[in-house]
Amino acid sequence: MTSPAWQRRRTAAGQLWREFRTNRGGLIGLGVLVAIVVLAVLAPLITDEGGLDVITATGSPLEPPSGEYWLGTDVDGRSVLLLTFWGARVSLLVGFAATILSVFIGTLVGIVAAHFRGWPSAVLLRITDFFLVLPSLVLAIALSSVLTKGIWTIVLAVGVTSWPATARLVRAQTLTIESRPYIERATALGGGHGHIIGKHVLPAVLPLVLANTTLVVGSSIIAESTLSFLGLGDPTVVSWGSMLQTALSSGSVTAGAWWYLLPPGLAIVVIVLSFTLVGRALETVLNPRLKAGR
Amino acid sequence: MTSTTDGHLAADLDERRAGTSTPRFVAGKVGGALASLVLVVVLGFLLFRMIPGDPVATMTRDRPTSPEQLALLRERLGVDKPMWQQFLDYFGGLFQGDLGTSYMYSRPVADMIGERLGPTLLLVGTATVLAVLLGMWLGIRAAWKRDSAFDRVQTGVALTLWSVPQFWLGLLLLIATQGLFPSRGMRSPDVPEGFVAQSLDVAWHLTLPCVTLLAVIYAQYMLVMRSSLLEEMGSEYLTTARAKGLRDDLVRRRHAVPNALLPAVTLVFLQFGMVVSGTITVEAVFSWPGLGLLTYEALRGPDLPLLQGVFLVLAGSVIVMNLLAELLYRVLDPRVRAS
Amino acid sequence: MSPLLELRDLGVTYATGDGEVRAVRDVNLTLEPGETLGIAGESGSGKSTVALSVLRLLPRTARVSGEILLDGEDVTGMRWGRLRAVRWSSASVVFQGAMHALNPVRKVGEQIAEPIRLHTSLAEPKVAARVAELLEQVDLPPAKARSYPHELSGGQKQRVMIAMALACEPGLILADEPTTALDVVVQAQVLTLLSGLVAERGIGLVMITHDLSVLAATCARIAVMYRGEIVEQGPGSEVMGRPRHEHTRALAAAFPTVGDPVSRFAPATANPLPPEPAREEPDADAPGLLAARDLRVTFRDRDGRAVPAVAGVDLDVRRDEIVALVGQSGSGKTTLARTLLGLQRPTGGSVLYDGSLVPTSSAGLKEYRRQVQLVLQDPASALNPRHTVYEAVAEGPRIHGLPGDERELVLEALESAELRPAETYLARLPHELSGGQRQRVVIAGALALRPSVLVADEPVASLDASVRGEILGLLLRLRRELGLAALVITHDLGLAWNIADRVAVMYRGQLVEVGSVEQVLLEPRHEYTKSLLAALPMGTASAFERGV
Repeated sequence: MTSPAWQRRRTAAGQLWREFRTNRGGLIGLGVLVAIVVLAVLAPLITDEGGLDVITATGSPLEPPSGEYWLGTDVDGRSVLLLTFWGARVSLLVGFAATILSVFIGTLVGIVAAHFRGWPSAVLLRITDFFLVLPSLVLAIALSSVLTKGIWTIVLAVGVTSWPATARLVRAQTLTIESRPYIERATALGGGHGHIIGKHVLPAVLPLVLANTTLVVGSSIIAESTLSFLGLGDPTVVSWGSMLQTALSSGSVTAGAWWYLLPPGLAIVVIVLSFTLVGRALETVLNPRLKAGR
Repeated sequence: MTSTTDGHLAADLDERRAGTSTPRFVAGKVGGALASLVLVVVLGFLLFRMIPGDPVATMTRDRPTSPEQLALLRERLGVDKPMWQQFLDYFGGLFQGDLGTSYMYSRPVADMIGERLGPTLLLVGTATVLAVLLGMWLGIRAAWKRDSAFDRVQTGVALTLWSVPQFWLGLLLLIATQGLFPSRGMRSPDVPEGFVAQSLDVAWHLTLPCVTLLAVIYAQYMLVMRSSLLEEMGSEYLTTARAKGLRDDLVRRRHAVPNALLPAVTLVFLQFGMVVSGTITVEAVFSWPGLGLLTYEALRGPDLPLLQGVFLVLAGSVIVMNLLAELLYRVLDPRVRAS
Repeated sequence: MSPLLELRDLGVTYATGDGEVRAVRDVNLTLEPGETLGIAGESGSGKSTVALSVLRLLPRTARVSGEILLDGEDVTGMRWGRLRAVRWSSASVVFQGAMHALNPVRKVGEQIAEPIRLHTSLAEPKVAARVAELLEQVDLPPAKARSYPHELSGGQKQRVMIAMALACEPGLILADEPTTALDVVVQAQVLTLLSGLVAERGIGLVMITHDLSVLAATCARIAVMYRGEIVEQGPGSEVMGRPRHEHTRALAAAFPTVGDPVSRFAPATANPLPPEPAREEPDADAPGLLAARDLRVTFRDRDGRAVPAVAGVDLDVRRDEIVALVGQSGSGKTTLARTLLGLQRPTGGSVLYDGSLVPTSSAGLKEYRRQVQLVLQDPASALNPRHTVYEAVAEGPRIHGLPGDERELVLEALESAELRPAETYLARLPHELSGGQRQRVVIAGALALRPSVLVADEPVASLDASVRGEILGLLLRLRRELGLAALVITHDLGLAWNIADRVAVMYRGQLVEVGSVEQVLLEPRHEYTKSLLAALPMGTASAFERGV
């Protein structure tokens, strides 16, 4: 029976795509995201990495935009366009990696806390609530200030502090699913924990996790930029957050170097907004609760 | 950093609605909050002991120091004792309002935090009140005129602002209003004595940081209020209200909004962690002399006792706000109140 | 004088994503002042749409054609201001208040007072007095004005809805499923109250329900709707006594008269039932195939107090018999069923299967569940919406690793559940099936394990009337053909009369009366059983004996 099941999944995906397509915001967001990801992946091929080196920088400090430097230069005379271009790689990498970590922990904790009864689940819930209340940025700051500076520290700090929201969502959804009579029916048929989770809970929870994931990527990118801005990022790598940090600490902002400030910030806004739009569109399509309200 | 979008709140709130008797409820919630506070203390303590290397060495890394001086410093900071002893000392000190001594400034951390509390409260308080009013008002209008031009524009603006890193928005405002508002601090040095003049000066300094903070958090409140009202709008009791002959705006004001406000008001408190996070970067950008700037300064060191103290105060305040939200919800919603 | 309400060629279409859907067409109805009219129909027949259209309460996607004359004035052409003035003062609505028709965060007194303040110029102290008066009229203490809806029981909420409807002394009351979701006894009280008040005041009443027996008790005239049209209309006794349209007949048969020999062992099904096989006379003393001995289940409430849900129950389900477990909601009947299935741990007593204790280990329970299977109330939610019929039916055999060809097993189970031809159902998803078909899939899923006992919890309560008989017929047929024993949990005495051999009446966690159907339903001994029978809107067994 694999072939009808497979066929059904394909039909479901097609149906999903058709509904998603009607959401203009989500479609635009998806387009922008695909473009940015492709550009970021191709960065080493279409640009010269040498331009990132402070020593070999060709421009003079803080040049306004010109024919040669479309977006002007930074305090070290490097092209802001090139920096922004390469910054996307770090921001996306951190965003995705932190999200995978966060969503994995969140989904696991959420399902376990909802499915199993008794004290282990109560303890898990208590811990989730605790971390949910804790301001995640403050915790991430604390974490990254005590660990060695670097990209993976940021990933870790963002990932292990942002999972509770996912856990809460997954737990709520799991509880909803498990309150459905078909779970009782499956139990009455003799199904155990593995059967219930694998056959009924996971397939129903995963779509929502997917929608949630897109939203988490957006907030992870903002978190990365915030941590870098506070000087907690990897000093050897250019990211959008670190560009903005240099812009403030070098006095370029007070000097009115708007071209140094706008590109990285706008880049963050565009990419986070795109993720948010895609996430919301997916949520609308996938969450029966929201769909019923239409 | 908060990735809970408006759609998810319903499930959370449903859960909160399941009630127990009042004394048990209050005792349970207060007990839970106390447990969380203790957990924060433990977490803060362990976290800042995790740092690789010797804090004393970090502190003295730019100055030539003799081994005797190092030993003296160790003893004074208490880092030569075993871990559990350190923790007991620290925990005991907390009850006497002792948060340790700053490495960098050699001053009691509690005093430094005390000085910075006022400005932060002023900034956070003003921004939150304004954000709540603006967010709720726009959210109600957007939901009621769902899919209208107003709704689409407002939702679009809110989503965009939500995607903006707060510190960047602050920097942008700094550049855009160059010279119109002071770029740093809370007071000008040359302002004459007198309450009115001083207040005006503070308000003038407050404008930019407050607008920055406001812009991002109102968006969240607006989206929450909008979806909360949309949830209510399908309700059958609204049909009853319409059948009674109520005008549309009365149906909205008397029936839909009060119901939708319950979860939204509570979420204002629950989202307090987000406001705290925002404060850190905004204060750093505008050199607003509050807890956020103190955090930023402590990170430069890193000044661990100071960081630990700030962490404790910020996390603790969020836990307290969360407790208030839980209790407030119980007062506001008759369904939970009675049992 | 013009009639109170006149619908002329009423049609309603909804604009949906897939084009226009005609919910109501060519409806013509007239109601004179003081008259009572019942509109009966299944879910989706358009009956509620008709009610809502009278006050123009339909969603914006609805388009109304034809005329709706209220006191001779066309509602469809009214300006908003006029419409608002007419709403509640000329015609009010009794919604299904037990659910969500009351605002959850406002006191019920305020909600009753709201239309009074809106439509009259009564001074504020007099408004409070009026609210108290209204509450007294619906037999509620005036102090209840200070309650929130959630503090009231379902019946009380419904009384509040009625008080609210009377607030502005309208000429017409539209009652939309006013007693659905209420227990039989409460339902009878509410109906008596409503018809009494309406008759006293000469108010016109339009009552909408899926339950024909409710209409028979309250309405002079009855109209039956089917697929958006009125298929039959006439005096109540005529429509009930000599239904002309086949749909009316199906509706009427769904609520059989207890005591009527015609409906005994004869649920309304299109397929003929097999004859009763020769059954051994059951040995009354031998333990049943599935038995409960002094079974107790106690829950803890929020404050830690013990609440007994099942308080010492002895029950036997023997081979080759259907036992109906009857009781109101909250009587503990569902908890009892769950405990028999091992889904709920008993706090005392024991469950025996074939003479031996039902194991508590997970492996032992799994084995036990091959023998005793469950059929749930709402087939729409008892099937995973993502699983095809094949997967749903094959789930049990897969869990237990049953030998033999899986496809064969599934087809056979579907055949037994009368889904024919079985092949055509395999790849379908639950939402593509009708309610009755879904329930058959659930039953097939249970049959695939070849159990010897079925425990069915309200198996037809959420199904439309015309499907009800078919599912009951299936259960009876399975018993007669396969000897499958069943415990059917229900609040519906008619169901017991239709298919059961024995009845157990449950009240507050205990069985107050157990015996053969004829014995318990025709000669009830316990007061509670008598009150249940007395509350039947169609009249009781004794009434049947006296009347017909």
